[in-house]
Amino acid sequence: MSNPTTKAIDATSPTAASPRQPTSDGPQAMNGRMMNDRRKDLIQKFAALAGLLVLVTVFSMTSDAFFSVGNGMTIALQVTSIAYLGIAATCVIITGGIDLSVGSVLALAGVVAALAVKAGAPVPLGMGLGILVGAFCGLLNGLCVTRLKLPPFIATLGMMMVARGVALQITGARAVSGLGESFGELGNGAMFRIVRIGEDGFPDVVFPGIPYPVVLMVVIAIAVAIMLSRTTLGRHIYAVGSNAEAARLSGVNVAGVTLFTYVLSGTLAGLTGCVLMSRLVTAQPNEGVMYELDAIASAVIGGTSLIGGVGTISGTAIGAFVIGILRNGLNMNGVSAFTQQIIIGLVILLTVWIDQIRNRR
Amino acid sequence: MQQASLDTVPERFPPGLNQAPAGIELLRLDNITKRFPGVLALDGVGFDLRRGEVHALCGENGAGKSTLMKIISGQYQPDEGGITYKGEVRRFASSLDAERAGIAIIHQELNLVPHLSVAENIFLAREPKRGWFVDRTALRRQARACLDRLGVDIRPDAPVKSLSVAQCQMVEIAKALSLNAEIVIMDEPTSSLTESETALLFQVIRELKEQGVGIVYISHRLDEMALIVDRVTVLRDGRYVDTRNFADTCVDEIVALMVGRSLDDKFPERTSIPTADVLMDVRGLTRRGVFHDVGFELRRGEILGFAGLMGAGRTEVARAIFGADPLDTGTIRLGEREITVKTPRDAIAHGIAYLSEDRKSHGLAVKMSVTQNLTLANMGAVSNTLGFIDRKAEEQAAWRYIQMLSIRTPSPHQVARLLSGGNQQKIVIAKWLFRQSRILFFDEPTRGIDVGAKFAIYQLLDRLAAEGIGVVLISSELPEILGLTDRVAVFHEGRITAVLNTRETSQEEIMHFASGHGRPAAPGAETT
Repeated sequence: MSNPTTKAIDATSPTAASPRQPTSDGPQAMNGRMMNDRRKDLIQKFAALAGLLVLVTVFSMTSDAFFSVGNGMTIALQVTSIAYLGIAATCVIITGGIDLSVGSVLALAGVVAALAVKAGAPVPLGMGLGILVGAFCGLLNGLCVTRLKLPPFIATLGMMMVARGVALQITGARAVSGLGESFGELGNGAMFRIVRIGEDGFPDVVFPGIPYPVVLMVVIAIAVAIMLSRTTLGRHIYAVGSNAEAARLSGVNVAGVTLFTYVLSGTLAGLTGCVLMSRLVTAQPNEGVMYELDAIASAVIGGTSLIGGVGTISGTAIGAFVIGILRNGLNMNGVSAFTQQIIIGLVILLTVWIDQIRNRR
Repeated sequence: MQQASLDTVPERFPPGLNQAPAGIELLRLDNITKRFPGVLALDGVGFDLRRGEVHALCGENGAGKSTLMKIISGQYQPDEGGITYKGEVRRFASSLDAERAGIAIIHQELNLVPHLSVAENIFLAREPKRGWFVDRTALRRQARACLDRLGVDIRPDAPVKSLSVAQCQMVEIAKALSLNAEIVIMDEPTSSLTESETALLFQVIRELKEQGVGIVYISHRLDEMALIVDRVTVLRDGRYVDTRNFADTCVDEIVALMVGRSLDDKFPERTSIPTADVLMDVRGLTRRGVFHDVGFELRRGEILGFAGLMGAGRTEVARAIFGADPLDTGTIRLGEREITVKTPRDAIAHGIAYLSEDRKSHGLAVKMSVTQNLTLANMGAVSNTLGFIDRKAEEQAAWRYIQMLSIRTPSPHQVARLLSGGNQQKIVIAKWLFRQSRILFFDEPTRGIDVGAKFAIYQLLDRLAAEGIGVVLISSELPEILGLTDRVAVFHEGRITAVLNTRETSQEEIMHFASGHGRPAAPGAETT
């Protein structure tokens, strides 16, 4: 530890710098320090990951069924909806906003998709329509925030109620069922599923496969992570959250960037709705209540700052898995749903508190 | 005036308060060392403060003034060294701890709650109570007493948001007095005050001195110090340089101590030669109620000054040309072409840039790195058509500008918030240079920046002009206008009252036009 410290002192303090004299160290020295920064970053990530590993170890010891390919896939599947929404929430929160409407929007999107299919539309078209409805809700949120200048909390709180109301209204508060097997394909199908017909004539599952929702989750996480860290759009998202006025005066289209994050959030909520309803092969207008809070929690556990300007997708993914594994593991250990809530609530407080300490100077 | 202030041992004291005679040591810091990750902020620094004196702390940005101040006020704990307060060795665990002991600090960015009243602010969290309720009468009476001690006329019931910056400062001082503070630390108290407000503040400081309060005074405005400061301690690069009686020294000597070399000239030799080539021609700019019929020409290779009093509309005109604020009427021509500017994006696309006077809130994304701030206005240059950023190109660009402008940062990935004011300003300048801007508006570019860094920025302005960039310098410091510009547009109440040739004008003539009087007898004026 002492080595990097002394090195850095050389560059910043006394001898190096009368103000007119250029800084004397070259790219090599810079590289050294960059590595140091990266290492620190890695250690921070590692701390969250380590927490995750501790959870896995503890649950593996307390329950035999926990550590298996099958349960692994179950967890991954259970995490998907939190993850989709968490990824979207991360982008919105980085700009300094918040989206409380995703739970309702996903219900509306799923219900619309189901009604369309029920009315005779092909499944992909119906789901496409559902996702579009989600995107449209996101657009309305974004316009309320950027045009009407409503605080994001209020704008999306309104949408939360409106979308839920519409979902209940158009279904008459009844579940939409009888959607046919193909509606369940997205939520229940899997890639690389290996099934052998056993000697007794019954199918024997060799490998359960990777469920489509999990594949989608990985693809979306990677795509959004690249968008945030490698593209100008991503950079602008951070800039808006870090200092909106400075971003505007630097030529960043602040309204456009903000609008984009809400549309992305709505779109992913729409997708979540389709996947969830597909898994149940039934569309429930009451689905997704309080999901927005899980999404925000996963982002926050992953180190996203509610003030804006800070957050990563990898962090959010870890956050989503922390919540998912806690639920799954506690279930397997027969912990009641009420106790689970208490534990998850405490975990959120603990992780954010640790994060605060870490960032304190 | 100066004589009176140097009189460190006042004869009488108000009864009941700080009975100890002036001149007695109140606070002593020995051999203070403070390290931060990667930086040695203070290296064996000593400092002492006597009762009834104003002791100025001078140094360039990054010299360690703020760190020392935070150690005195308990926000930081020293890694080495001791603090002796009123003859006892003390260690302040927190700012609250120091406050209880009688050390108050008045920050540059004032810490008042805007929606509460003056009285409520003064006694925030210490409200006089009657049972469970706040005793409003006592609150008002006690606040009144504090304000009276300062001799300022502020209503205890007035909401803080209705006060001027200077009045807020008075409220902060009143708050310090209500804590029975024996040491008051003032960080850049005059940076946003007008001259008359400054005079009032100094009057209050003299009152405090008479009452035996020791004052640690931090300011970049060395000229003003002569009026109140008794002793001055200079820091440089985290080390103690010297302590002098202000009476035995002069501003130039202090500056020399601060920068470690003598500054023969405050301004660099101008190397650029103004041409007749008009870069930008602005006519009839009006924003109702803010500025009217403003017109000027900006020529290639020149530095055009915008002079005027605060609120004369200089910043507003620059912001409107940059598209940051709306414009009612008027035309802007670049060369032959007339342009329309609706947003900063339009202006930036035309090569116009505006460097705000308020870096922290308008110029920098403080949570982002040096590199990210540098490239923010020109992401296109470091990314491909799909918007993917070429990190190597970005880093190289950052490195180039870090060297070109001598930005002091441990790494291009350092978070901008952690750099000193001068270096932050350089990042903002670098951002616009990287954008290849052709017209740069600098709004008070040297506010809150120390002497050495100022000189570097002056040199930079000259270099930019020499490279054919049109530079507009908005400054409230007339020496700066006179020392750097080729021509000066003088503003008064939203209008340009004169455009003068800098070489043929004088401070008096500029002030004359700035205060709205007609043309004086002096020659050299050139009409718009």
